Amino acid sequence: MDPESMKMLAIGLVMGLGALGPGLGIGILGYGAMQGLARNPEARGPIFTNMLLAIAMAEAIAIYALVVAILLGFIF
Amino acid sequence: MTSSKKRGCLGCSFPVLIITVIIVLGIVIVGFLSGPIGQGILERLGIHITFPSWLVSGKPAIHLAAPEIFNIFGLSITNTILAGWITAIFLVLGSWLITRRMKLVPGRLQSVFEFLLGWIYDLCESVAGKENGRKFFPVVCTIILFVGFNAWLSLVPGFGSILVNAHGSEHELLRGANTDLNTPLALAIVSFFFVAFYGLKSLGVGWLKQYFNFGPFFKSIGRMFKGKFNVMDIFSGVINAFVGGLEFLSMLIRLISFTFRLFGNMTAGEILVLVGAFLMPMAVNWIIYGFEALVGLVQALVFGILTLVFATMAVTSHETESH
Repeated sequence: MDPESMKMLAIGLVMGLGALGPGLGIGILGYGAMQGLARNPEARGPIFTNMLLAIAMAEAIAIYALVVAILLGFIF
Repeated sequence: MTSSKKRGCLGCSFPVLIITVIIVLGIVIVGFLSGPIGQGILERLGIHITFPSWLVSGKPAIHLAAPEIFNIFGLSITNTILAGWITAIFLVLGSWLITRRMKLVPGRLQSVFEFLLGWIYDLCESVAGKENGRKFFPVVCTIILFVGFNAWLSLVPGFGSILVNAHGSEHELLRGANTDLNTPLALAIVSFFFVAFYGLKSLGVGWLKQYFNFGPFFKSIGRMFKGKFNVMDIFSGVINAFVGGLEFLSMLIRLISFTFRLFGNMTAGEILVLVGAFLMPMAVNWIIYGFEALVGLVQALVFGILTLVFATMAVTSHETESH
């Protein structure tokens, strides 16, 4: 396998595998928020804010993978 | 559609709606076919259509490092700095114009800004409590407004299409300030010092004790010289110091995570728009623009709220929590 195709494979794998975990995490977070909302519809505001915060935390991990992928793709 | 007057859908009559849908569909289909994907499909089918050159956009050139436009006394001014200045001037001028003639019964613009600031203020109070919320509000609100307006400013059509010739090659004159790694880093450092300032102000040296917790360890060593040798004491002292070190490390990692979250989101948005314009010109960017507006707002909120949460954690000491 020549270096160029190895690089392309690495970029794809970094982004794909890096998005796997945060995707699951965001799914679980959304599940929890929906359940909380169904049980207590009045707490919509705080639940939504906290859900956004937690989702941003989970999403940051995918963003690290994205930064690595961008670095691999455009810098090295 | 029970009454005969209200015929139509989405606020327009049926002929207007149908014509609009046809025009939109036509634009989308032509845009799709003129992109690389559509060209590939057409070539498979054996059809050759040459599209006008203004429709076909070139392969996107993506620069991570912001190019220098000009320099003042050796300080290089990049295009992202220019965009940051424009955002700042826009915000300062805007708030000056709005607060210049405040009325008891607000006008349109004033009520919009009162609503926005009131919403952020309520958020601060709900997270940090009444007293601390008032203290943290200025910095948090500035961060939210700067990041949010910056993200939305770079979505304005024509923002990135002004090209200037600098140092022998063409660059965009303006680029969203947070697509340069330095601006998010600067914001993260500001938020870090903000948290540290309020932590030190409200807890004094006790705030530092969370991170450099060598007290129990030295105390147990001192007790050892007095003849009371206790292995568990020394062990728990070491563990305490180690936990403090971990907290310190997590604080530094928080700095990096703040930086890369904002930088990654903004850069990814810009690259997404570029790639969308390259793959399917005029077809997908309608949706991407809406998505990017949402992302900009959410990232601004997240940056502000996380600063707020960490500041709140810093002013409430760990001792009062556990007891």
